Amino acid sequence: MNDLITKSVAEFLKGLPSYDENNFARFHTDSNSRNSMKRPSLYLSTKDHPSEQIIVTEKTNILLRYLHHQWDKKSAMKKRDHLSLETNDESGCRKRPRIDL
Amino acid sequence: MAHHYVVTAQKPTGVNACVTGNFTSPTDLNLILAKNTRIEIQLVTPEGLRPLREIGLYGRVAVMKFFRPPCQKKDLLFIITNKYNVMILECKGEGENLEIITKAHGNVEDKIGRPSENGIIAVIDPEARVIGLRLYDGLFKIIPLDKDNCELKASSIRMEELEVHDLDFLHGCANPTIILIHQDQNGRHMKTHEISLKDKEFVKMPWKQDNIETEAMIVIPVPEPLCGAIIIGQESILYHDGNSFVAVAPAVIKQSTIVCYAKVDTQGSRYLLGDMAGHLFMLLIEKEEKIDGTYTVKDPKVELLGEISIPESITYLDNGVLFIGSRLGDSQLIKLNKIPDENGSYVSVMESFMNLAPITDMVVVDLEKQGQDQVITCSGAFKEGSLRIIRNGIGIQEHASIDLPGIKGIWALNINKENHFDNTLVMSFVGHTRVLTLNGEEVEETEIPGFLSDQQTFYCSNVGLNEIIQVTSVLARLISLKSKQLISEWRPPSGKTISVVACNNSQVLCAAGCELYYLEITNEELVQKGFATLEYEVACLDISPLSDDQDKVEFAAIGLWTDISARILRLPSLEEVNREFFGGEIIPRSILMAAFDGKCYLLCALGDGSMFYFSLNKTTGQLTDKKKVTIGTQPTVLKTFKTHYTMNVFACSDQPTVIYSSNQKLLFSNVNLKEVNNMCSLNAEAYPDSLAIASDSAVTIGTMDEIQKLHIRTVPLGETPRRIAYQESTQTFGVATMRIDQQESVGTSPIRPSASTQVQSTSSSGSSSGFAQSVNKPVGVGVAATGQHEYGLEVEVHNLLVIDQHTFEVLHAHQLLQSEYALSLTSTKLGDDPVTYYVVGTAFVNPDESEPKQGRIVILQFQDGKLTQVAEKDTKGACYSLVSFNGKLVASINSTVRLFEWTAEKELRLECSHFNNIIALYTKSKGDFILVGDLMRSIALLQHKVY
Repeated sequence: MNDLITKSVAEFLKGLPSYDENNFARFHTDSNSRNSMKRPSLYLSTKDHPSEQIIVTEKTNILLRYLHHQWDKKSAMKKRDHLSLETNDESGCRKRPRIDL
Repeated sequence: MAHHYVVTAQKPTGVNACVTGNFTSPTDLNLILAKNTRIEIQLVTPEGLRPLREIGLYGRVAVMKFFRPPCQKKDLLFIITNKYNVMILECKGEGENLEIITKAHGNVEDKIGRPSENGIIAVIDPEARVIGLRLYDGLFKIIPLDKDNCELKASSIRMEELEVHDLDFLHGCANPTIILIHQDQNGRHMKTHEISLKDKEFVKMPWKQDNIETEAMIVIPVPEPLCGAIIIGQESILYHDGNSFVAVAPAVIKQSTIVCYAKVDTQGSRYLLGDMAGHLFMLLIEKEEKIDGTYTVKDPKVELLGEISIPESITYLDNGVLFIGSRLGDSQLIKLNKIPDENGSYVSVMESFMNLAPITDMVVVDLEKQGQDQVITCSGAFKEGSLRIIRNGIGIQEHASIDLPGIKGIWALNINKENHFDNTLVMSFVGHTRVLTLNGEEVEETEIPGFLSDQQTFYCSNVGLNEIIQVTSVLARLISLKSKQLISEWRPPSGKTISVVACNNSQVLCAAGCELYYLEITNEELVQKGFATLEYEVACLDISPLSDDQDKVEFAAIGLWTDISARILRLPSLEEVNREFFGGEIIPRSILMAAFDGKCYLLCALGDGSMFYFSLNKTTGQLTDKKKVTIGTQPTVLKTFKTHYTMNVFACSDQPTVIYSSNQKLLFSNVNLKEVNNMCSLNAEAYPDSLAIASDSAVTIGTMDEIQKLHIRTVPLGETPRRIAYQESTQTFGVATMRIDQQESVGTSPIRPSASTQVQSTSSSGSSSGFAQSVNKPVGVGVAATGQHEYGLEVEVHNLLVIDQHTFEVLHAHQLLQSEYALSLTSTKLGDDPVTYYVVGTAFVNPDESEPKQGRIVILQFQDGKLTQVAEKDTKGACYSLVSFNGKLVASINSTVRLFEWTAEKELRLECSHFNNIIALYTKSKGDFILVGDLMRSIALLQHKVY
């Protein structure tokens, strides 16, 4: 049973991804015990790099945005209805005939 | 108006997040760590991790993610802070000229909206089309990543799922699509939403799965070709591809809760999972390609790899090496091994990164009674719980030690000159000198031909091209290493005994009483070039060169007896250039000229441990800017040494100190050694860049920590320390701790060994004393509440540990009652009672109560290695803080502040109370005043008046 697990884990750990096979190849605990104490130098920007892009938050209330959106959709639909009517009606009359009489 | 100067002694060490990617160049593999308000950029190299840069932010990192815009070779770093500031950072340039460019920034806070209870979630579309943020309940915010627009507009989308536990973007979708785990009254469900970036809306729900595991908490999107997502639950793991799913319930993951994951393969077949108990698992999703090109997925497999620090964030680096970012313990660099070690673990720790966080309490104590305070913190939590002893100063890492009492002087030599390493240590004692040769790490006694061993050596070093000089009380000798014999000898013409000597590579200055002789080493010969008789006897002298390229020095510095003065003499004439009087009657014992950062100084240590120092003009010999410091209390010997290529001075005394320069200023830093009589630099093959340090009884070879650093020692406890108090009379610390036990059919048992389970001497409030029996335990708390169905439930057990202040050994553990939590701790004397007591404030915690209704104040005495309960007082609430107050005891209990007096019967009696708080969490006292810190009402100052 134990052997089975060992084998299966070994299978799991086979062919772990390698970006550069040299990475960690010369790792020594001794030489590194000091490295770990070493802190990276602090980055202080001395140049002014203006930001390319500004991230802004949309101020519109999402309910209003939704309503506007619905409104735009509806009016677009209406316009299309009109347009389709205009092109279809060959008589050129802008008024629709009353049909409920 | 007083001003305070605040400076950070220790930058944050707890890791909130870690990511791996190509940041500093398209080929560099970088590890980026977020440590609270700081970002660290590291480079993966063959030697390990190399720190490149550290960046400070004006905010705490909440989420940090890498992403790569299409057709780019480098990754960009996205960060959101806890105050909703967002930024996209890019790294440009290389080497020393790395520039961090803020490509985009802004704030995405909403004026209204309820911040989500389970924190900020930030995710980035795998094709980098959009960033998704869950900041407030019921809202999903998107930042479309439009390259050409100078304004990136963040918009909110209404999300009908209110309680979202996790979400992420799916791979392989035509439009950005999120997958989320949410909870409603029926349980937890999984849902997907396709986002229209144009309309800023969810447009479709491609697929969903209702009623997944009730504790499902992590969603892992699987990359192409498989796509779909993995859902991690408390007990089960599920893979869903949109049409069908496979689920497993591996027994190994049930013990604890999985908190983070890391993708291993780019194709997404393997993942690392870390849980709250510090287990590391690997999850494997195996696929089979069918004839029609689609895939079927076999059952996910999970294997336990081993134990790590409790992880906050895990990232895969390269070649089987991972970084474990920990917030509760030390972060680690971990290697995965195919073959298990003797404990069956597939992980080995390559490197550990010290972390003090989270610090829950601390005390400041002068442990060694040397006037140097140390901070002892309650650090870490759960199995990572520890005490950390933090002292200001420099640590010496001991590598070897030889027991040799009575060393008067020590010098390192390079005999035979095969390479540039030192291979010999010369040590002088009263009446004789011993020579040790360093052979690798081994040390053996030897003899140098032509060297006098039957006298005390005053000075010895490599000089000239290939000679060594030895000066004793009688004579100076020049020994050739080539011919291995004495080649030149000099004795004071007057026949007087040499009292002090100084030497450099080509010059020697000897004093015999008031007589001062100047010699030069020329053509393998010691030649006397100067002589002077001074008014008083010479106490100390120096001819150290002030730069490396200087072969001969122009000035000598001497200190005199009787008139207590320092003088600068010109060489070779020995004419006086300048003199300075120190005043007083303490003789100068050691004088030294040294250059730091290109600035020259004269240092002169006196016999009482004080030291004067001056700026020294290299060309005129003028001394200016006289200053005085106190280093120790005993005569001090000043020696120069080199570490990390910089010159420093070691002041050998009862308070060993390193003197160094920073920003053109001399700084003094304590060394973590008891007493140093003498020392020298040692650069041996087996001990490179080391120091040989002589104390009264031994010589120690060690290396020095980086200068100007806190020295931190760890005492692991294996359970969570919460409160600490120092008791000087018993030389102990009291530490209130919490460990997790598991409910069994009868009673509970510890999950893992820790400080309170391994100590020999124990007691408990329940059994050892009769007092506890009389406690009216709150209903619903205690044994009665425990039923069979709670088997396996985690139970908090609180202890008071007594720890020796010198050895940090746990001497005693006193266990509190069931459901009783230790909240406060102090050590104090009470009334006229001469005994110093530990006082613990507690609360009985019942999950059904919004606030504790019962608690205790327990008075304990530590005596003869045992802790005994002396008294206790029931309180109507939680005792959040305790403070000693003019022989009485102030306790803050829920919303009240109460003053207790200690009676002759050794009982606490309530004297008076103050009511005007929501919850009084903190108290401090001074004189008649009590300062109270409230949960909501800021602080209040109370005064106690006796009528």
